[in-house]
Amino acid sequence: MIALASIRDLTVTYRRDGNEVAALKTINLDIGAGERLAIIGESGSGKSTLALAIAGLLPASSRIEGRLDWFLPSSPSSGAKAPPSVLPDISPPRGEITPSFRLSPITEIASKELPSKLPISPLAGEMSGRTEGGGTDRQPKFVPLGGRDIGFVFQDPSASLDPVMAVGKQIAEVAYTHLGLTWPQAYAKAKSLLERVRLPDPDSALRAFPHQLSGGQKQRVAIAAAIAAGPKLLIADEATSALDTIVQAEIVALIRRLVAEDGMTLLFISHDIALAAELAERIAVFRHGELLELGPTAQIVDAPTQAYTRTLLDAHIGLDATPLLNRAGLNA
Amino acid sequence: MNLLTVSNLTKRYRRGGKTIAAVDDISFHIEPGETLALAGPSGSGKSTIARLVLRLIEPDAGHIEFEGNDFLALSGAALRQRRARLQMVFQDPLAAFNPRSTVARLLDDPLRIHGIAARAERPRRIAALLERVGLAADLAPRAIHEISGGQRQRVAIARAIATKPSLIVLDEAVSALDVSVRGQILELLLDLQRQERIAYLFISHDLGVVRAIAHRVVLLEAGEIAECGDARTVIDAPQSAIGKALVAAAPRLNRTRP
Amino acid sequence: MSPLRRFLRKPEAVAGAILLAALVAMALSAPMLFPGDPQAIAGPALLPPFQDWSLPLGTDRLGRDVLAELFYGARTSLAVGLAAAAAALAIGSVVGTLAGFAGGLVDEVLMRITDAFQTVPGFLLALAFVSVVGPSLGIVVIAIALGTWTGPARVARAEVLSIRERDYVAGARVIGMHPLAIAFREVLPNALPPVLAMSSVIVAAAILTEAALSFLGLGDPNRATWGGMIAEGRAVLRTAPFLSIVPGIALVLTVLGVYLAGEGIVETTAVRRGLS
Ligand SMILES: Nc1ncnc2c1ncn2[C@@H]1O[C@H](COP(=O)(O)OP(=O)(O)OP(=O)(O)O)[C@@H](O)[C@H]1O
Ligand SMILES: [Mg+2]
Repeated sequence: MIALASIRDLTVTYRRDGNEVAALKTINLDIGAGERLAIIGESGSGKSTLALAIAGLLPASSRIEGRLDWFLPSSPSSGAKAPPSVLPDISPPRGEITPSFRLSPITEIASKELPSKLPISPLAGEMSGRTEGGGTDRQPKFVPLGGRDIGFVFQDPSASLDPVMAVGKQIAEVAYTHLGLTWPQAYAKAKSLLERVRLPDPDSALRAFPHQLSGGQKQRVAIAAAIAAGPKLLIADEATSALDTIVQAEIVALIRRLVAEDGMTLLFISHDIALAAELAERIAVFRHGELLELGPTAQIVDAPTQAYTRTLLDAHIGLDATPLLNRAGLNA
Repeated sequence: MNLLTVSNLTKRYRRGGKTIAAVDDISFHIEPGETLALAGPSGSGKSTIARLVLRLIEPDAGHIEFEGNDFLALSGAALRQRRARLQMVFQDPLAAFNPRSTVARLLDDPLRIHGIAARAERPRRIAALLERVGLAADLAPRAIHEISGGQRQRVAIARAIATKPSLIVLDEAVSALDVSVRGQILELLLDLQRQERIAYLFISHDLGVVRAIAHRVVLLEAGEIAECGDARTVIDAPQSAIGKALVAAAPRLNRTRP
Repeated sequence: MSPLRRFLRKPEAVAGAILLAALVAMALSAPMLFPGDPQAIAGPALLPPFQDWSLPLGTDRLGRDVLAELFYGARTSLAVGLAAAAAALAIGSVVGTLAGFAGGLVDEVLMRITDAFQTVPGFLLALAFVSVVGPSLGIVVIAIALGTWTGPARVARAEVLSIRERDYVAGARVIGMHPLAIAFREVLPNALPPVLAMSSVIVAAAILTEAALSFLGLGDPNRATWGGMIAEGRAVLRTAPFLSIVPGIALVLTVLGVYLAGEGIVETTAVRRGLS
């Protein structure tokens, strides 16, 4: 596996009214380039914090220790323009986190610790032993840019879309900012993206405002905006949890197709182990801010090593589950 | 005799000049001690039916008969009194409670309003209710935002059973819960049903849960009934297009060694 | 960080709090420092300030002690300002809650009444009311409240309209709670924060209105008021300007203090609400 990013001893602490809450505790995790990795866990397990840390979107009130190294071919920065006023694909998620963001200091820590002349990550040696080649085009000191290199899809699409801007413009703005396109080109790109996410009637959808779309349609637009700049990594944080099962299945299929077509890496964050198992190649199980277990999907599902993982699996109520209902109970 | 009989219920909304029927000429019934599930995609009218049955909104047409009486004919004090028998549990227990309230106050309200217990006796009744739903009695003085989501939903159930209802409407009552908590809440609901013969109108779009807990199911699509019948029969072999789509969309966990 | 610490970090809020504390100290200490009637004659007329240390700020045209009047005036300003603001907020909250919660005809009628009150300038309303009923402290309070309750009423109504649709209100109906109990026990307390946020402006405005009424001779004649003092001094503005300037400065500092401290409190509590 060629790593896209490597997380070492990541600890994130939130400060809230004098209390310190550890949201993540010494996490070690490699994200392979091109893989579909699911992060599962229940509320408060630190899933979203991990996503925000990876995207460099943690709030200023948090304390971050450890390091995060990226192994990306250097991106063309020639066409990049100043970020627009609104980045539709990056916005605060619901709850738990204060709304002011700064770029992650993880990368600052990493660059401080590393002498600038020696761009060697502690992982580099280890990695080159396992993988053939790939060492030349990797740049450990590369700092990814949210929106360009990382696409983000949140649970609530209304929160990530600007309610007073036509959705076509929101998508075009990402392409304009990060790809160096002209506005007409950016709009053409937006239209083709709306076709790719299978939004019915993309021409009129370009001019539609978010409130005129259904929840599932809004999520498709949010996905289109997230992939507009051709990111290497797509992070979907509970992206289907607010949708009904039929729409959820459609969105999951859409994400699977887009990731395969563009060779993107997918970080799929969910509380639903069955959904994660349908989509991901590897599953990481989080609980109370710790990474409990990590392995290929089949292994996690069929031979979990942790009792907690087994609890999650057993709690799934599938269509073949034994009914809880004691039928004799009803004799009306 | 049926506990609840809903016939030809219709509710229309006007939106942007167009009239849409959120609930369109729907009829069903619930027997005492029975769980009837309402399932269907988003916007199919599940919550609207729940609100109509609870008299939170008024229908444009149709009848609702509850415990042998015309439920729509009630108003004012008579309606408020009869509400004791027909309770509700919401999806998001945090939104369903006054943010300023404590557990004790939430459980005190129904006991006081319906004169179920004298003031001096109420703390004991509140403790008993908490125990009945598997919570420690010392949770009573806590503020509602100081307890976990699972505990909150148990408090919601305790509040609903405080007035000894014969029917509880549960609108996505387990959808927002962590899966490990969800199983426990479903067990609690089944236990209450066995002990007190409470009937449930159980609203969910998760067919796995519906199949596990409901006796019968009504599948809705765009405000109309697409299919109804025995829960396992319908879900194991759906006949309607929406039934087939819902079954196909349910996430599956293919465990070779369960 | 506690709200108090956050409040103390804002210099303008602290300055406001100090001004306000000084005003309260003046109001509370007046009967102890000046046991007699402040409107009784205390010395020769038109004694300039800093001449006689038993009368540090001198006397007015009738020989009354200006410092004593200033202290007792603080009492009147504070009492009227707080009472009128409290009355305006109470009336406004109740009317706004009833209108927003009941909706329909009740809402229509109450909001037309609110409109009617709002079209008449508050000061004119107070002026007319006091002229008709006659000046006394209680009447002045009611007169000021009559002109200011409409703002809180509108804010309360808007807030109630959004709270009314929340699940917990439906939950209260389901357990059979009486609509009035829902409106005042469940909805109103949660609608109050934005209404209370208006209180600093309302208190400051009420203090100014009271001063203006007294200036026009429509204040309670049996009490020392800053407005009355300014009006008194006006006749001798050329020869003894301090008679108008001293109470004028007191008025400006008070209004400033109320406003700054009030805004500080609103901001610190708003930050807290945003965080939680
Ligand atoms: N107050 C309202 N005004 C206008 N339209 C409404 C209102 N309430 C519901 N509707 C419409 O009625 C239809 C049914 O909505 P309802 O909330 O009952 O669906 P649901 O089955 O509960 O969906 P979900 O699974 O998303 O909760 C939808 O089209 C909805 O937009
Ligand atoms: Mg619903």
